[in-house]
Amino acid sequence: MMDNQFLICFLNELQKVMNDKREYLIELDSVVGDGDLGLTMGDGFTAAYEAVRDSGETDTGKLLYSAGKAMSIKVPSTMGTLMASGFMQAGKVLKGKTELADGDIAELFAAYEEGVRKRGKAEVGDKTFLDGMDPAVVKLSHSLENGDSLLLAAQKAEKAAEEGFRRTTTMIAVHGRAATRGEASRTLEDPGAAVAMLMMQAFAKAAESLF
Amino acid sequence: MKKIINKPEDYVKEMMEGLYIAHPDLITYTGDDVHCLVSVNKKPGKVGIATGGGSGHLPLFLGYVGKGMLDGCSVGDVFQSPSPDQMLKVTKEIDSGAGVLYIYGNYNGDIFNFDMAAEQADFEEDIKVESVVAGEDVASAGPAAPGEKNTRRGVAGIIFIYKCAGAAADAMLSLDEVKRVAEKAAANVRTMGVALTPCTVPRVGKPGFEIGDDEMEIGMGIHGETGIRRGKLEPADQIVEEMMDKIVADLPYVNGDEVAVLVNGLGATPLDEQYIVTRKIDSYLKEKGIKVHRYYVGEYATSIEMAGFSISLLKLDDELKGYLDAPAQTPFFVQL
Repeated sequence: MMDNQFLICFLNELQKVMNDKREYLIELDSVVGDGDLGLTMGDGFTAAYEAVRDSGETDTGKLLYSAGKAMSIKVPSTMGTLMASGFMQAGKVLKGKTELADGDIAELFAAYEEGVRKRGKAEVGDKTFLDGMDPAVVKLSHSLENGDSLLLAAQKAEKAAEEGFRRTTTMIAVHGRAATRGEASRTLEDPGAAVAMLMMQAFAKAAESLF
Repeated sequence: MKKIINKPEDYVKEMMEGLYIAHPDLITYTGDDVHCLVSVNKKPGKVGIATGGGSGHLPLFLGYVGKGMLDGCSVGDVFQSPSPDQMLKVTKEIDSGAGVLYIYGNYNGDIFNFDMAAEQADFEEDIKVESVVAGEDVASAGPAAPGEKNTRRGVAGIIFIYKCAGAAADAMLSLDEVKRVAEKAAANVRTMGVALTPCTVPRVGKPGFEIGDDEMEIGMGIHGETGIRRGKLEPADQIVEEMMDKIVADLPYVNGDEVAVLVNGLGATPLDEQYIVTRKIDSYLKEKGIKVHRYYVGEYATSIEMAGFSISLLKLDDELKGYLDAPAQTPFFVQL
């Protein structure tokens, strides 16, 4: 069993990877958007981590909710609010828990995805964050159901997210500025799905630290 | 960049401070945050109306908070949405038990944040919130098919929605009724704009796009979103005719209809030119047999220092006419 220390470790890895990949995200986003994704993700996930780092909060749900709330205040951009919505939904689902089994971790990411999906009113295949996240969530829960360790499951999820991100170059954008390009948007890599890929990298790193 | 400012990062904060100094009889702020603007004139039991969005569009959005229109407004950085937390602070301050209506423009950042604020208002504060999203720019997308979501951007026409909903709330209608009036106004308004020069976001420091000295872009959005046609600048009458053809055909506005007209300068187009435009709009509508109930000419929703203008039409029935004509007093809108 794990407790909130694991989540704080995950959030720390998350802000680290988003800050490390700042320029990469800016570059991806500059092709279609306004190029500020690297800044909002770096600043937003840092705010999420800082809100929980020393909070001493033992309720997993409340911890995640407060991470989301801090992020929504810090970066009220489109993507910032979507990522905050994921944390807040995960917080609602896990409210009341102080210990986490492997299955709860799968539930956390499923709830995160659901929070983003509901806020953005997007579906898998629309060339968004969900196209990186959804394959990872599916892989994570299957892998754990098959008895894999959390580390192995996290690594498989990481790979699934990366493959999902690569597959966005086969999809036509239907949301945001990229959508105005229609068919011409197809070959572009989706910056949102890249964020999902980086998120699962951070999760695999955090899982490594458990072993 | 050539602007009368101090530090770019203080642009919004200092603008807000100036507004509170100039209009203490109408507006103040709540939650210890100058971005959370509320009316000082409270009417107990009235439905609260809030709006919000990025800065850089004055008088939009905050300029319509006052008597007979809006009760609160949260503002973000230039062209950036305010946060759900700021929207929630405004919501709490303006709710007097009758609920709160959000009216804002159709942009993803604003939608996501207002949705989150509405959930928090319900979940954390037990305040009932309804929303009406304005999306009337005919150049930004085709009309939504039945059941599909509207993808048109919201621009200057939102002022008509504020005015009608604000008057309905002032007449002490219920939240559902105020929402119905707002939706009716939203369904009957159409806008189109034209831009001649770009604008510069202070913290960015350079223009958002390039356009030739002799060029115009028909249908450009108020953040510089791509329009439907770029070409050589034409005489005013010709530009108006092209825009009016698109607007009138869209609703459509037909012979016998009665409308209100909003001619809106985008920031750097003088009133002189706006009245030249107004004159042509009038002859165009006369020819179509469309009667004008009222004109509004001036700066209502700008794009910092962009040159250009937009035209909005609101089709009126007796109900909307009554609400449009009702008195209002805000820092930027006074109607006796």
